[in-house]
Amino acid sequence: MLSSAQCSPSGPSEAAAAAATNATEAAGSAAKSQQAMWSIEFEKVSKSFGAHRVLVDVDLHVRPGEKVTLIGPSGSGKTTVLRLAMTLAKPTSGDIRVFGESIIFDSAGKPLSNSQEARIRRRCGMVFQQFNLFPHLTVLQNLILAPTTVLRQSREQAEKSALEYLRMVDLEDKVHAYPAQLSGGQQQRIAIARALILKPEILLLDEITSALDPELAGEVLDVVRGVAHELKVTLLIVTHEMRFAREVSDRIVVFDAGRIIEQGSPEKIFTNPESERTRAFLQSVLNH
Amino acid sequence: MTWDWSYVLQILPELMVGVCYTVLVTLASSAIALTGGLLLAILESVSTKFGRAFVRFWLELARGVPALVLLYFAFYVLPEVGVTLPAMPIGIGVLGIVYAAYSSEVYRGSLITIPAELRDACVALNLSPYVTWQRVLVPLMIKRSAPALLNYVLGLFRHTAVLFAIGIPVLMGEAMVAADQSFRYLEPFTLAGVIYLGMNLPFLYLLSRFKVKYA
Amino acid sequence: MKAVLEYWPAFAQGLWVTVWIAACIILGAALGAIILGALRLSETLAIRVASMLFIEAIRAPSGLVLLFWVFYVLPLLPGMPRLSPLTAAILVLALDGAVYGAEIVRAGIESVHRGQSDACHALGLTKLQSFTSVVLPQALSQIVPAFGSLARGMIKWTSIVSFIGVQDVLYVANFVRGQTYETVTVFCLLAAVYWILTVLCGIAFSTLERVLPLNRALRASRASIQAGPELNASAGVAS
Repeated sequence: MLSSAQCSPSGPSEAAAAAATNATEAAGSAAKSQQAMWSIEFEKVSKSFGAHRVLVDVDLHVRPGEKVTLIGPSGSGKTTVLRLAMTLAKPTSGDIRVFGESIIFDSAGKPLSNSQEARIRRRCGMVFQQFNLFPHLTVLQNLILAPTTVLRQSREQAEKSALEYLRMVDLEDKVHAYPAQLSGGQQQRIAIARALILKPEILLLDEITSALDPELAGEVLDVVRGVAHELKVTLLIVTHEMRFAREVSDRIVVFDAGRIIEQGSPEKIFTNPESERTRAFLQSVLNH
Repeated sequence: MTWDWSYVLQILPELMVGVCYTVLVTLASSAIALTGGLLLAILESVSTKFGRAFVRFWLELARGVPALVLLYFAFYVLPEVGVTLPAMPIGIGVLGIVYAAYSSEVYRGSLITIPAELRDACVALNLSPYVTWQRVLVPLMIKRSAPALLNYVLGLFRHTAVLFAIGIPVLMGEAMVAADQSFRYLEPFTLAGVIYLGMNLPFLYLLSRFKVKYA
Repeated sequence: MKAVLEYWPAFAQGLWVTVWIAACIILGAALGAIILGALRLSETLAIRVASMLFIEAIRAPSGLVLLFWVFYVLPLLPGMPRLSPLTAAILVLALDGAVYGAEIVRAGIESVHRGQSDACHALGLTKLQSFTSVVLPQALSQIVPAFGSLARGMIKWTSIVSFIGVQDVLYVANFVRGQTYETVTVFCLLAAVYWILTVLCGIAFSTLERVLPLNRALRASRASIQAGPELNASAGVAS
């Protein structure tokens, strides 16, 4: 299912185009990102909505290519972590870095300008619980919107790579369908393709099966398994599917009340957790 | 031209008479509109083809023809067919009829959102159709339509200004008379605008209350 | 009836004025509504509040009061031009339509699910790109029908312009009534003219509605859903 993805759209012309767009920063940031140890770092990040503290002093460091799953009771702040990484929200305090570059401040410590933020943000992609496909556009139009507007690819080029990614999620027969004509599982697979077509180095998956019936969740998880296996993308996953988490993750991070209470290999977390609260949480979801 | 306060004081009593007439017309017309609309909505729901066609015609008339034209029509045609009425009832009646059509749409909208199970329950309780309407459906319709109806009453109030066209001394009419007598336009029209603006405030307050309540 | 019909050139002239005013104010209102609606949703609090106050202040007195004020009082203020009746009428009615339309635009934009702009952000689209290619096309499905009924209303608003001497179809009708005393005929004709204009306007807007992207998408999916049960039904008949 996934074999085509590797050989897919990294034509030399496109790389050249990408380099040309940020020619000035290219040299500096490339050097920086090569020595970056972490694909994404959270440093003492807190987030409050009014008096409600959603995240409290979170430190999290993810290696390039690492697959990390965040688990924990609902309302524990996992989704907020992803939204902060995607710059959909700004932290109240602390810093977040993507391949060594802050997505909050510039080098002088001032808030990033929109264009600077947009350039760094491009290295992240996100798939949402509610799919968030654009209902007024066909599947193909959904896929090529960002490549043509953000990466300024030609229409033909974008359509060609769209077809390759559709093949990867096994939905190439739905090119001209509208989202409302697809099942939830199919919609979510399209949403994954739509995120991957921009070739993000970090992919954020926010409860991508929570809105699906169990029998449809399977096909979506299959796609993610393929992505995890064959692409060198860093995965940051929030999910309630414990078996899936155990199977794809390199590391599990347990959240409770806005703090990381424990992290470690799936083996350790699922068989021999240190924290009593982790044990209680796992018991409640596994017996469910 | 500069603002003349003594002239303002001179015309203020007349404008206040206009305010009284405006309030009176608004209240009377909305009474007709709100009850008439309710009756139309019920008629449409319970009736045969004929009743429905009647309501439909009424609605098209209100939607497609300016109130001003209907006003002129009633004002000039009624005497020709032997009905001589003063301007006041004609004005109140025409605005009432136009807005009755609009509010019947609102009532109808809230009637069709009342779940069918509720009507089933009334049947199961052996309530007569009359009791079902009077005690269950109508109160619910009124409750659900209240914010939208208030909006129409506000629209009706704004619309009363045209009644000066057939000589009813609403605020706009009084301002016009004052302006014509003195050839001073600044004070009467500006005052009228400001007073109309002020008279909106109670409506806006009530609407914001509704918004809070229904949000 | 015959006496009235002899005045048809005057009627045609008046009708032309009415149609022209209606077209101008509907287009003007659409443009103004988008601008005011966008200001109403501005990220700056001051702009939001200022646009809201402006909207309420224009909306509160009826168009008629505003029309008289602009026509008679505005020229008295220092530095203000004396507007022709036609200009004053178009200006006031378009502005009035724009403030009603602004609320329609605002509600339409707010009806688009928050996740849509989140998805745009995640895909790297700028705010402007996400507004023009994702949010607005979907909002139009809410905006166009509501604006259509506003436009129908606006055709009726034009009837007040004869008060300041614009020679629209109502003005002509009053003149013809004075000449012929055929009140019933004249006003029935007049009512029919307005009714036809509003119906045509309604048809224009529902045609526009059909070509909106989101509506096309919904129609396509409804068609494919209906195709399913139909097949089943026919299978049932065959067995």
